[in-house]
Amino acid sequence: MKLKIQIALLTLFLSGTLLAQEEIKISWDYKNQTFNEFVASAESLYNIKFYYRDEWVRDLRPGDFPGITSLNQFLDLLFRNKSLYYLIDNSGDVIITSNFAIRVEDAGIKSGQTYLAPTEYATQEKQVLTGNAFVDIGNPADRNKPGNVTISGYITNRDSKEPVSGVTVFEQKLSAGTISNEYGFYSLPLPRGAHLIQFSFIGMKENQVSVNLYGSGEMNMEMTSTLIPLKETVVSAQKNVIFQRYEVGVEKVNLTSFRLMPTSMGESDIIKNVLLMPGVQSVGEGSAGFNVRGGSSDQNLILMYGAPVYNTSHFFGFFSAVNSDIMRDVTLYKGGIPARYGGRISSVLDITGKEGNRKEFAGNAGISPITTHLMVTGPIKKDTITYIVTGRTTYSNWVLKMINNAALKKSRASFYDLNASITYDVNKNNKIDLAAYMSHDAFRFNSDTVYSYDNNLIALRWRHFFNSRFFAQFSLNNSNYRYDISSESTPSEAFILSHRINSTGLKADFNLYQGRNEINYGAELTRYSVLPGNYRPASDSSFVIARTLQEERALESALYFEDKFTVTDYLSINGGIRFSTFMGFGPAEFMVYDPNYPKSSSTVTDTLNFRANQIYRTYMGPEYRVSLNFRTSQNSSLKLNYNRTRQYLHLLSNTTSISPTDTWQLSDYHLKPQIGDQFAIGYYRMLSRNNIQASAEIYYKEIKNMVDFKGGANLVMNDNVERDLVDVKGRAYGIELLLKKDEGRVRWSLAYTYSRSMLKTTGRFSDEVINNGKWFPANYDRPHDFVGTFNFLFSRRYSFSANYTYTTGRPITYPVSTYNLDDMLIVYYSDRNKYRIPDYMRLDLSIKVGGNLRSHKIANPYWVFSIYNVLGRQNVYSVYFKNENKGINGYKLSVFGKAIPSLSFNFDF
Amino acid sequence: MLLLTGGCITQFVPETEETQISLVVEGLITDQHEVNTIKLSRSLPLGSRITAKPVSGCEVILSDDQGNSWKLREHGAGIYITDTAEFRGIVGRKYKLTVHANSDLNFYSYESLPMEMKPVPPIDSIYYEKVTIRERTLYRGPAEGCQIYLDARDPEGKCDYFRWDYTETWKIQLPFVMPLNKICWVTENSTAINIKNTSLLASTRIVKYPIRLITNQTDRLTNRYSLLVTQYSLDEEEFKYWDKLRSITEDVGSLYDIIPASINSNIHCIEDPGEKVLGYFSVSAKSMKRIFIEQFFAGLVNPYVSCVTDTVYNNDPIPNLNTSKWILDASPFRVIPSWVTVTDYKGCADCTVRGTKIKPDFWVEDK
Repeated sequence: MKLKIQIALLTLFLSGTLLAQEEIKISWDYKNQTFNEFVASAESLYNIKFYYRDEWVRDLRPGDFPGITSLNQFLDLLFRNKSLYYLIDNSGDVIITSNFAIRVEDAGIKSGQTYLAPTEYATQEKQVLTGNAFVDIGNPADRNKPGNVTISGYITNRDSKEPVSGVTVFEQKLSAGTISNEYGFYSLPLPRGAHLIQFSFIGMKENQVSVNLYGSGEMNMEMTSTLIPLKETVVSAQKNVIFQRYEVGVEKVNLTSFRLMPTSMGESDIIKNVLLMPGVQSVGEGSAGFNVRGGSSDQNLILMYGAPVYNTSHFFGFFSAVNSDIMRDVTLYKGGIPARYGGRISSVLDITGKEGNRKEFAGNAGISPITTHLMVTGPIKKDTITYIVTGRTTYSNWVLKMINNAALKKSRASFYDLNASITYDVNKNNKIDLAAYMSHDAFRFNSDTVYSYDNNLIALRWRHFFNSRFFAQFSLNNSNYRYDISSESTPSEAFILSHRINSTGLKADFNLYQGRNEINYGAELTRYSVLPGNYRPASDSSFVIARTLQEERALESALYFEDKFTVTDYLSINGGIRFSTFMGFGPAEFMVYDPNYPKSSSTVTDTLNFRANQIYRTYMGPEYRVSLNFRTSQNSSLKLNYNRTRQYLHLLSNTTSISPTDTWQLSDYHLKPQIGDQFAIGYYRMLSRNNIQASAEIYYKEIKNMVDFKGGANLVMNDNVERDLVDVKGRAYGIELLLKKDEGRVRWSLAYTYSRSMLKTTGRFSDEVINNGKWFPANYDRPHDFVGTFNFLFSRRYSFSANYTYTTGRPITYPVSTYNLDDMLIVYYSDRNKYRIPDYMRLDLSIKVGGNLRSHKIANPYWVFSIYNVLGRQNVYSVYFKNENKGINGYKLSVFGKAIPSLSFNFDF
Repeated sequence: MLLLTGGCITQFVPETEETQISLVVEGLITDQHEVNTIKLSRSLPLGSRITAKPVSGCEVILSDDQGNSWKLREHGAGIYITDTAEFRGIVGRKYKLTVHANSDLNFYSYESLPMEMKPVPPIDSIYYEKVTIRERTLYRGPAEGCQIYLDARDPEGKCDYFRWDYTETWKIQLPFVMPLNKICWVTENSTAINIKNTSLLASTRIVKYPIRLITNQTDRLTNRYSLLVTQYSLDEEEFKYWDKLRSITEDVGSLYDIIPASINSNIHCIEDPGEKVLGYFSVSAKSMKRIFIEQFFAGLVNPYVSCVTDTVYNNDPIPNLNTSKWILDASPFRVIPSWVTVTDYKGCADCTVRGTKIKPDFWVEDK
């Protein structure tokens, strides 16, 4: 069966002048054709498309009207008394509608006019496409009924037929709007009457549709992507996106601009792009992880295909482990975290994968000095089953061997990552997709120690549409992260050290649109199993005694409910609650300590043994998520937000950045869950005739039960980590100012953040106290942060980008004096993080040169030349001190000591 | 990666406004019939090249949990010693150190936590193995080093945490015929922290603990070498102190450095609990064992290989002899022309630059 477009689509192009259309003559014999066959014949002869639902045309018999050559006359006869209407748009496409007619008027809405004069649509008149198109929704007879009605529908990408999330649907006159959700669904309550609705999305051509709204109805929209927008759009609803969001602190990565950004070593890197956002910082170059609004790097939930990724970097931070080819949409929630997300304190980075191309085989390949990548996509069964596969690998081993340096010759580094997904549209109401991701890293730095680590995740999702306003998603996923460190430098001590975390999640989410409410509710269940450490001999000659730390098992569950309620056109509320529960279960053994003394082997009072599946600790609590959005004027809004988050998973790290030996640890008998509270206020305003977004956000955050470690604690293969933990509470506050022009040929942004992240120990015993129990800056406390970006699109083929970053150096603990002990020279350090390393500054440039863009069918090549750290500044990553020749010498380490040029070549096919 | 990205490491001198000078207490009380020493000094600003700045004139008192107390006598600047006639540590007792600083110094009074003298088992054995440092190649011979191991056990299971320090003594013999002083003994103390935690083992049994690796880059193994290992028994707190000290002094300089931290002492200031005191007051029984090593090791470096700086013929006068020039070798009797080889380095001609001519009491030669 030939499947037509499943959903009625209205694609209306509204440009000033419209071209005369080609007259369509029915020149073939359609006597015995079904309507579908008739359409196939018409589409094969002319460059037109028909849009309709199969069920509408099943009973139509074109053979009843033989010999007609005019398409309009034919359709008039065929649709008579069938409640079917049609519109032939300016490109000749035929849009068939059921129960309502599309009318095209010569003039737009007259000012002051809110209701349209009644028009009769008994018969189809010849469509004259010379002006604005009007869509009538609902029964015109209802036009004088009181109250609001809702217009809703699905937005898809015209080329790939993928749903497009994050599209702003905006009614300018009322300044009312909404954003399409992850299924591409939108729902906008409006008063009855005539409206001009804009559909806009970064990187897509903006659409405007005039509607006459008589009752609630559905309007679906196809949008066309634009690689590089050529014209400055004067009116853009995208700018209104931030007004309509309920949450403070939600940032979407502009994937179009992202691909133009300068790269380090030729790789577009999503995490580096996230770092350009206000409120996001990192400890330094080449450090894995990032810090959001004063949170530690383990407080970010990074979701891919809805499943958590536990290590997001290759080479421990030099590259993101997520291939940018796969990303359809990337959203960072640094505040205002919706109730459907949980489990981390500071942020959620949700990476939505692309779906396969439904129409044809396509792909993309690229090569850079370090990596090569390939993406292929296409339908297995047209419009029904699609696939997308991407892979990326490095040949840096080869590069390392080429360099004539003895130290590097002994070094090895390799990584790869693979993404694959299959999407199956079972029918109109059911959609299944299966996605998998794996990444692998192995490296050795001029030593005999080999580090390797792997991420593997698989996710199965089933989307079910009960009806057009109520849908659900059920997902089942498994994510596994492990590392192995092996060393054979001394055969007698050759060892392999392993760590593993595995989580299996089951999730059900329901979305319900009802009038002015958008209700989300659902449940989530995650089972964790963590192997903290396994230490075993690497060979027979090794004296290492095999040892395994007790495996941890736990179940985290959550129920959530959230309602986005539009109270009036000027006030909307998003209220949500998430109730999470965490249960650790045996087999497990825990020591109990005398509460009057610090935890140590000598203060153990009891040992508790828990049987398999016996629950040893339960933590639970509500998490409130509340946002208020006041529209203060036509082009400004004020938002208030409070959210509480709970986190039951901790990354044990006593190094400044995420290191290869950091281990994940679950909350357990001793380790309490972290609880974060954030209050935020944001003010947003459009400036310069709505061309520039300006925003100011202020936040204050408190985090309880963070963990730090006693000085010099050893966390590797530590059986009783609780003895080395220090209870810490955190507080962070800051102001984020942003000016941004995100459209047109010249795009730029200026972001300045002033923020502080402070920690304070809460322990009672002397060795649990850092800096005498006073507040001290966290490792990632970098008060001043300025980021500027600039893109200039010369033409379709050439574009130029630059970005500039300036941040305060991170805090550091310096040695302040020395002393001798048993002929050893010992260094005495200052208070924790009392000093700072020099400030950080970097400028990157890139130029993108595209090939001839005449047709996207032919391989479409482009080159990206970029220079990372143009100024060649030796930004200090760390400062350390070594005891050499009976003296202490200080050294500073810079990761990038000079400008790094790179060239990458990519092509789409 | 660093080289690939043009990364670099450069010398760096931090600017700190810290001028606080802390009291450093270095003390060890043992159960042996010997002089126990407590050293008091002050910490030095970073980059200072002075090795010690002793603190003199303090009243140093040792007391136990039986109500006894002993006043220590200052013997040399900042060095306070017990009187062997009066004091000897007894296993099982708790000792406390009190220091009253001289009033004209910027120090106050200090007190240690009561520290229990823990028993220590004897060292079972010390032994060594040759290790290959470099395989034989076409152009170079092999090189060997010596790994010295230690075995210990505590059948009573009272001791879980061990610390060792050692003293190395080796004989040097200058490879010349006519040096000023030819045979000496060089002694050096350990500068590394050697500790071991056996609390997680089923029985307190230390097998093959690598206490010292001697590479071929020294002349320790050239003649005869001796190692005296002292074993101490620690409590968990003291073990942690040494463990942390080790982690901040030895594991630095990578991308993933442990956040350095100041380490808490068991001594605190009585008047101002916030004042930082450095060092540790250790109380432990001790046991010792010595090993002698005299064997051929391949590929040892010879530090005296480039000693000869000049050759003087025909008994020509040598200016500044024995002040800036020293004779190493001379031509055999009646060789014409006669010659002497001369060096500019005193250490090449006089072994007392490195060691002492006095043979140590414990030194026994093989056979």
